[in-house]
Amino acid sequence: MRNLTTLLFAAGLGFLLLVLAAGLPYGHPPMLVGQGILQQAPATTGAANIVTSVVLAYRGLDTLGELSILFAAAAGAGLVLGGHRRRRRPDPDGGFILIAGADLMFPLLLVVGLYVILHGHLTPGGGFQGGVILAAAFFLPLLGRPREALDHTAISWIEGLAGAAFIAIGLWALFARGDFLAPMLGKGVLGQLFSAGTLPLLYAAVGLKVGAELSGLLADLAATEARDP
Amino acid sequence: MTPPPIEFLLYGGALALVALGLAGLVMARHLFRSILALGILEAGANLLLVLAGYRAGGVAPILTPGTLGQPMVDPVPQALVLTAIVIGVGVQALALALALRVHQAYGTLDVAEVRGRMEADTDAAAGLEPETSRDLPAVERPS
Amino acid sequence: MNAVVLAVALPLLGAFLTPSLARLSLPLGRLFGPGLLAFCLWLLWGIARALGDATAGVALGGFAPPLGIAFHLDRLALLFALAVPAMVLALWPWGGRPREWSLTLVLAAAATGLALSGDLFNLYVFYELLAVASYGLIAANQRPAAQAAALRYLLLSAAGSALALLGIALVYTQTGTLNLAQLALLAPVSLDGPLGLAAFALLLLGIGVKAEAFPVNTWVPEVYATAPSRLAGLLAGLVSKLAVLVIVRLLLVVFQRPEATQLMLVLGVLGIAWGELAAWRARDLSRQLAWSSVGQLGIVFVAFSLPGETGVLAGLAVALHHLLVKPALFLLARHWNGALEGLRGAARRAPLAGALFALFALSLVGVPPLPGFWAKFVTLSGLFAQPGPLCSLAAVVILTATLVEAAYLFRTLTLLFGPGGEEPRMAPHGALDLGTATAFAGLLLAGVIWLQPLTGDLHGIARQAVDMDTYVDTDLPTPRP
Repeated sequence: MRNLTTLLFAAGLGFLLLVLAAGLPYGHPPMLVGQGILQQAPATTGAANIVTSVVLAYRGLDTLGELSILFAAAAGAGLVLGGHRRRRRPDPDGGFILIAGADLMFPLLLVVGLYVILHGHLTPGGGFQGGVILAAAFFLPLLGRPREALDHTAISWIEGLAGAAFIAIGLWALFARGDFLAPMLGKGVLGQLFSAGTLPLLYAAVGLKVGAELSGLLADLAATEARDP
Repeated sequence: MTPPPIEFLLYGGALALVALGLAGLVMARHLFRSILALGILEAGANLLLVLAGYRAGGVAPILTPGTLGQPMVDPVPQALVLTAIVIGVGVQALALALALRVHQAYGTLDVAEVRGRMEADTDAAAGLEPETSRDLPAVERPS
Repeated sequence: MNAVVLAVALPLLGAFLTPSLARLSLPLGRLFGPGLLAFCLWLLWGIARALGDATAGVALGGFAPPLGIAFHLDRLALLFALAVPAMVLALWPWGGRPREWSLTLVLAAAATGLALSGDLFNLYVFYELLAVASYGLIAANQRPAAQAAALRYLLLSAAGSALALLGIALVYTQTGTLNLAQLALLAPVSLDGPLGLAAFALLLLGIGVKAEAFPVNTWVPEVYATAPSRLAGLLAGLVSKLAVLVIVRLLLVVFQRPEATQLMLVLGVLGIAWGELAAWRARDLSRQLAWSSVGQLGIVFVAFSLPGETGVLAGLAVALHHLLVKPALFLLARHWNGALEGLRGAARRAPLAGALFALFALSLVGVPPLPGFWAKFVTLSGLFAQPGPLCSLAAVVILTATLVEAAYLFRTLTLLFGPGGEEPRMAPHGALDLGTATAFAGLLLAGVIWLQPLTGDLHGIARQAVDMDTYVDTDLPTPRP
């Protein structure tokens, strides 16, 4: 009975939203802000990928907040799982295929992750996507050999320093140009690897931080026993 | 003007995900399912946000020799969705960590049972006798 | 003026570095965060002094709004921005672990951002940041009940956030901008229909979770009864007020329409009735205070739903009063955290704590000449001045709720000061908690003495907050049609 009511309620809500949404301008967005950014962004930031310009320059503070959210989630998970990290019975090693596959994939994923991070201002991708690939690279060997733990001190340093580097670049712009996270350095030639000023540096910091946070989170979760025996 | 059907499919899909996620959150009796429902709800909201920037015939907002001069879709919602997705990942990871610990402590993730155990724990910490109405099934209890 | 972003960036920097610093040297890690917050307090104070009665917009990264994110500095924003480092310093978790200090710094940065930001999506990001930091802090004490409460809170709050995101998506689809000032220009046309109301309702539900609004406040007693008292004070005192501030900003700037204010009023009335009745039924002090917080936030909602300057003035008065009183009550209640029956005579054994508790409780009820009376008086006179049955109903509900509030708080006070209670099982209050509570009491009494200039200041803040032309001109120097 309760389920039926809820279902009806949800269906009603969905229908209401659909009726509302029918009036929305689909395919012809107002693009008040979007059009301005499309016109202005390449000249202002020098990045070929305009989404990257928005993420790191126009809405750089959002990205800082986003990084902090990942950091807070990882720190929270560490606090929650802390003290229970040691497993009594670690999982047995993965089979030959998993171990060999993980060893093969590790350098490949590392290269792909770094490539995606460093080309974030040119092609789709960037620090977040590349950071996730980096985290996967470090998590795969953990699946193969669950006994070997990640070095939590190193992770803590990387996440701290990468986050600090992002803010430091922002502060540098604040003191040199008077605006927090304003684009710095030369713009270079549009479409070149060394272009777009500080944007690739910011994305490198994002990538390292995301990689470190997610590796730490995954390792914390993997090392926690589902239920105390 | 009659709207093309594709519009209803896209918006309908996004809103259906929202409705599904909400229904799942309210109905789920298992906390892990609630976390999954949360993911569905967020996916629906993200999809709607990305739809906000769609421009008929537009290309991805990346300047390459092939795209110069063509109309581009709005880049702002794409950046927003990137942010929203990452936020969702962080929240879900934290939720899973909490669910793991709750399961360790209580041996169950049933919504009503966890709630009952939690309130009993809180009462015990405050030195209260359990209420008489605690004997009722946990779901029926007035809150 | 651009340096105001430091108030957000520096606590985040501190949060990132604190765990590593604490590995190097624990005392350094311990003092780093409070030091940064003290610096932010000094910085914001300097900016508030320099700004005076003027308003200022800060374009982050030098990207002129509406393209980039803008901070809006006015007296209302700076008042709450100043309250953030001050309150976080007063309620700093000195005994915690490095990661707790980190998360508290994140909380401070997010709260400051919420007070200052003038961009819809940026507000959402800071709101989520605040939420994630608080989940971690609630669950930090490793008690299963706290972790279960944190998980239940997380599910509710994250669902609310997803709804708020949905609201933002609707607004963006309709207008194509996120800048609040530009939205203020566009709203009368673009957000006039049912779509705008739906967007506001979604945002209200989403942000209302932290503001303890009526249908989404079930987490309140669970979390406040299991969280450490300093954190409970921070959440009830500071965090809820910032969520209210965001809602009020949205209401004043973007969603200026009678349906929206009526929605606030109705939710507020329901919150008052629900909260005060549940507080009356509560059998232990933590939950009594938690439910009373829901009731007080209901009054804040009702007060802010009054139109124009009166509404902002009344809302500010109630909100600031609660901001001061509730954390102090939580600090004092920490050592009396048992069944109410077990508190017999507790105040006789700890006279200072008892006296402070009585002072705060009396002010909460609204006994003249304490500031709580004045806050409720402003709200009620505003309500009676309004036509319409809904406002009269709200006034009657507030009056009745005050009676209920008085009944249960006097019952608690009678128990605390009454005879009996042979076994002194409770540990004495810590010097730090008592000192903080005394400082809050000092501020409360200062409010009695300087009520006249304080009222003048609040009038000024309210007048500036409802002045939409100035708001738009500040953030959008060259508004586009």
